[in-house]
Amino acid sequence: MTEELKSKIQQIMARYPKKESALMPALTLVQKANGNNLTPEHVVEVAEVIGVSKSRAYGVATYYTMFNVDKKVGKYHLQVDTNIPATLMGAREIFDYLSEKLQIKHGETTPDGLFTLSKVECLASCGTCPVVQVNDVYYELMTKEKVDMLIDSLRKGVMPDLPVEYNWATQCNVLLRNRGVENAKSIEVYKKNGGYKTLAKALKMNPVDIVNEVRNSQLRGRGGAGFPTGVKWGFVPKNTDKPIYLICNADEGEPGTFKDRQILAYDPHLLIEGMAIASHALGCKTAFIYIRGEFAWIARILEKAIDEAKSDGQLNHMQDIIVHQGAGSYVCGEETALIESIEGKRGLPRMKPPFPAVSGLYGCPTIVNNVETLASIPYIVENGAEAFKKWGSEAGYGFKLFGVSGAVNKPGVYECPMGISFDELIELAGGIKGNMIGVIIGGLSVPILTAEELKQGLGLKMDYESAIQYGTSLGSGGVMVISDEFSIPEIAARTIQFYNHESCGQCTPCRMGSDMLVQLLNKIVEGKGEKGDIDKVVWFCDNIKGNTLCPTGEAYASPIKAMINKYRNEFEKLIIV
Amino acid sequence: MENSIKITIDGQVFETSPGKTVLDVARENNIYIPTLCYHPRTGKAGKCRACLVEVEGLRGLKESCALDARDGMVVKTNTEQIIQVRKMIVELYLSNGEHNCIACEQNGHCELQDMAYHLGIERPSFLMDYQHVPLDESSAGIIRDNNKCIECGRCITACNNNVMHEVLDFGWRSGHTKVICDNDLPMGQSSCVQCGECVQVCPVGALTFKNAKGKGPFWELEKKKTICTYCGVGCSIDMYVKDDKWVYSMGTEDNWENQTNKGMLCVKGRFGFDFLNREDRLNTPLIRKNGKLEPATWDEALDLVATKLNETKAKYGPGAIGFFSSARTTNEENYALMRLARGVVFTNNIDHCARL
Repeated sequence: MTEELKSKIQQIMARYPKKESALMPALTLVQKANGNNLTPEHVVEVAEVIGVSKSRAYGVATYYTMFNVDKKVGKYHLQVDTNIPATLMGAREIFDYLSEKLQIKHGETTPDGLFTLSKVECLASCGTCPVVQVNDVYYELMTKEKVDMLIDSLRKGVMPDLPVEYNWATQCNVLLRNRGVENAKSIEVYKKNGGYKTLAKALKMNPVDIVNEVRNSQLRGRGGAGFPTGVKWGFVPKNTDKPIYLICNADEGEPGTFKDRQILAYDPHLLIEGMAIASHALGCKTAFIYIRGEFAWIARILEKAIDEAKSDGQLNHMQDIIVHQGAGSYVCGEETALIESIEGKRGLPRMKPPFPAVSGLYGCPTIVNNVETLASIPYIVENGAEAFKKWGSEAGYGFKLFGVSGAVNKPGVYECPMGISFDELIELAGGIKGNMIGVIIGGLSVPILTAEELKQGLGLKMDYESAIQYGTSLGSGGVMVISDEFSIPEIAARTIQFYNHESCGQCTPCRMGSDMLVQLLNKIVEGKGEKGDIDKVVWFCDNIKGNTLCPTGEAYASPIKAMINKYRNEFEKLIIV
Repeated sequence: MENSIKITIDGQVFETSPGKTVLDVARENNIYIPTLCYHPRTGKAGKCRACLVEVEGLRGLKESCALDARDGMVVKTNTEQIIQVRKMIVELYLSNGEHNCIACEQNGHCELQDMAYHLGIERPSFLMDYQHVPLDESSAGIIRDNNKCIECGRCITACNNNVMHEVLDFGWRSGHTKVICDNDLPMGQSSCVQCGECVQVCPVGALTFKNAKGKGPFWELEKKKTICTYCGVGCSIDMYVKDDKWVYSMGTEDNWENQTNKGMLCVKGRFGFDFLNREDRLNTPLIRKNGKLEPATWDEALDLVATKLNETKAKYGPGAIGFFSSARTTNEENYALMRLARGVVFTNNIDHCARL
């Protein structure tokens, strides 16, 4: 390791309240400096610089999938998202095309050391699949022609610029207000459009009044669980002598969800303003944005925006906002796993209680909020709770980003009032492509709805209560439309493959139960299923649900059970004996 | 009882003092709740999910190892749902890995075996594809058999939080999760000091002592509590003995909180007792007669030492005599020797080997 690299690591260590937090950023740096590879010796060196045990550093390096420990990766790592939304939009064809073109299979590297091809899990690009991530850069809406262009260019040593037409629209004009504005990510443009005025107003307000306003707005967390934000903020102990931390959860990774990146990449100051206001309300001095490692380029956008905001004097009431990059782990979207990850550990969820609001990051009171939640705060503080509640109903108030992917004509992100009808949302997304057989409305972890179910009742509305009435959940608002081109058993098998890949491995039912379900469902899909196998799957789902250390077990047990219950015939058809 | 609480478990009311977990109360009253990751000396971990119980008024099943017993609490430990979850856990373990008890060192002393026994599961109802991994026998005293590991994490907590050697951790994730030494080195090449704490807390046969292999199944061993003779700390040891031969040592677990060593041992206390079994071990003092060491009684030996000390003192003065004490003795014994040197022999020549 060069002295320059060491001093860079030491600078990162100094920025964090505890030096161990620099472990992941340090590994990322060293890997980058070593042509995309990490050797065990590198990991040991990093451990020594940071002052943690070798086993801890090695445990971290092998936990996160983006660290290439002891696996040779070529100059260009081509990573094809093959998760459900990607599959629904043709990712397999793109992967096969790449595989044939480069004459390598999954995990292999071309003999010239130029390309490594990998199938990876959801890249939060569901509306723009197929997507190929090349090192740090996303190439979206890939076609065979674009793949040819990409590979030709890479062979010449140039990362090409392949423009993408994104679909989006807003009915509320809040979260996506600046989406179409040129260079909205610069502070000048943001301020010209009225940005940071709310922060100035908030800083003159009593923090308690801000918390009350947010509580009165009945804003519910937009990350998926839907917990009332103001109530969560109220859990922070009063008169504590410990520092209070605010963490923005930007670990967007639930398949079907690609909404937060619209704010992160195109309107970062909206998020920073929301965080600055929330920090004032909570008494937080150091805040974090935990962003998934694959969003490295967005992390750079955020860092630049934070620097701008600091130079502009917007963050004078705070010490710092630190952008902490993940390195490939879905479970780190769970708030306690995320906290562990910032502490420089494996992303293992903690037992609760205590809840983070009481004992979170470094054992201090911590509030973890989703990007969209925090980006909603300026509007509420500026216009008041009542203005926020003009959208939606008791069943869910305010504006919400919905990501629509799969079998629709215009997959994309749409900002709509809470409670918009499912049909209207689909219309915004250009209508159904083909014949819909089912839909997953809140990210992959919620139960699927059949086309018949959607026709029943008063019609599904996209809010918390209506989703529950239909036996599912609004989750993160990631809508995946499934057409008859796809088989539900295959989707079930691919679903468990994802959660099995992402299971942190800590608790028995999730670690081994997901292994078991992968084997059983693959067996069924491969046409080798025996009588009783389907019931076994259901038995495992029933016993895993609610009995794992964190919600991940339920996140696959519920949807898989729903797929079997609602499409049992399709599974039965595959059984041979 | 003042300041006491009442808690109902499986219909029985128990009066107990506050500050205990539901698991504590159940165990005090001989109610079986299986645990695989919880150990009194490594604490709750939430990993195995074997100790889940039902609590009236609380949603879902709760980890009894982490649940504070509260007054009026009504707990059930044997509902159909709980039994099903326990069965799933045992099924999952038995279907994956190599949990064959027949020749296992931990047979009869294995917490996974106990759990399977209580549930009546002799073999799993299905098997998963499993790749055997070679044993790690690279270290001097410990055999690691990852095929039997259940990833409970006790050894890791013990290594990092109890003895603080920081050698073990988890590596990789999901089904690939495994316990690693340093950067996944064989134990013998790692920074492990062979204190054996990991073996002591292992609930199954994944970590065993080399010196105990084949020396006798657990039920043939007799536990004898003693104090380690290696240094003045006075660690409490449970020696497992068969036919009056030492087999292996464990730090005393009973009332461990009040032992000086809190259940832990160092490499000497753990492994350094093989001399007990040797034929050529000294059993009596020896006196050199005509150039040859011959067995003697303690009286003979002490008389000889006293005579020689007196002679030397009379002939050359007390400065000609020196005393050398050992780190294997206690502070009190060292003090007594110092008094003998200074107060009886009148010499200041006394030193100590503060090393072994």
